[in-house]
Amino acid sequence: MSEDAISDLLVRVAAQDRAAFAVLYSATAAKLMGVSFRILGNRAEAEEAVQEVFTRVWLRAGRFDASKGRGMTWLISIARNHAIDRIRARPDAQFDGDDALMTVADPTPTAEATLSAKGDARRIADCFDTLEPDRAAAVKGAYLNGLSYQDLAARFSVPLNTMRTWLRRSLLSLKDCLES
Amino acid sequence: MTDRDDHTAPEGDEMLAAEYVLGTLPLAERLAAERRARDDAGFAALIAAWEARLAPLNDDYEEMPAPNLLPAIEARLFGTAPARRPFWQRWTSLLGGAVAAALILVGVFLVSNTHAPQGPQLVATLAAQGQPLVFTARYDEATQTLHLTRTSGPAPAAGHDYQLWTIGKDGVPVPQTLASATEVSQKLPLAPGTTLAISLEPSGGSPNGKPTLGLVSGIVKTL
Repeated sequence: MSEDAISDLLVRVAAQDRAAFAVLYSATAAKLMGVSFRILGNRAEAEEAVQEVFTRVWLRAGRFDASKGRGMTWLISIARNHAIDRIRARPDAQFDGDDALMTVADPTPTAEATLSAKGDARRIADCFDTLEPDRAAAVKGAYLNGLSYQDLAARFSVPLNTMRTWLRRSLLSLKDCLES
Repeated sequence: MTDRDDHTAPEGDEMLAAEYVLGTLPLAERLAAERRARDDAGFAALIAAWEARLAPLNDDYEEMPAPNLLPAIEARLFGTAPARRPFWQRWTSLLGGAVAAALILVGVFLVSNTHAPQGPQLVATLAAQGQPLVFTARYDEATQTLHLTRTSGPAPAAGHDYQLWTIGKDGVPVPQTLASATEVSQKLPLAPGTTLAISLEPSGGSPNGKPTLGLVSGIVKTL
């Protein structure tokens, strides 16, 4: 199924089209199950998460904007965010040194132009290639598996703050590379 | 408090959005970022841009067969009786999806009009199918006291609280007692048809009078 087809389905779901919702489920459940399982590492919990994800998809479909991104990207964001919320909320999840709610300064929004909806996959792969292999692996481990700074620091045998610095610098490098 | 300086300048916002999308923020900061993105279009755009940048990584997620969860999802969203007006539709038209989705567990608390005059104790179960987190609510009409017991599931993680909400006919969730202890009681009048819900909040309860984060939403149960 093409990206456009998923976006079209989301637009219909936003109009409370239950038939479109069923088609969307058939087209995307396996992918979202894969996302949920990879992060949660547990089939039963992943199935629960997928149910919640589709519940949210129905409720939030009106906020999907096809001009700003692909349908599948939007769906995977919901699945990733939900799975990561779950693992971060686990009672054994420890805070990464920040135990207080962050006080967010009143922002002057840096109204950044949204990246082209049809972002170039080849380009980001090239940009990842410019990172040191360890750091590229850490960024991917965080994104794909939902690893925390603590998980990553242990896995790569570096101090927590070092890992944080690695990831932040890597993210900024990626952004610069993509915008160059 | 560490790294606060990184989160104040516009560049700090950029990094905060990036780390949110990457998924490495601890829960409290994730919640704060999600809350902020709802009201701050500039910050939401930063998040969207990072989602788009990193989206090519999504190709690494392999498909995995799942059982057919659609009937359970539809039951959640639309109820099992199609003739009835779907609960979530009614809700979302009144509240917007974010608020509705922010409730972890939902149970409908129907106070019978034909109850015995001595005031029986009415019960509701707040749970979703298969969820590890279950609350049982018992309402004592004689004393107008709601007793809420967490019968299954963990206490909230450090720095967080469960919070009870009541939703009346206007569809607006009203924050009630924190429900982090295994058993809590609150004196409050409950009208017939009131919905009870539990959300996960930063320590001390919802900072803005609205539910913050849901881990799951639940099947509506009428008793």
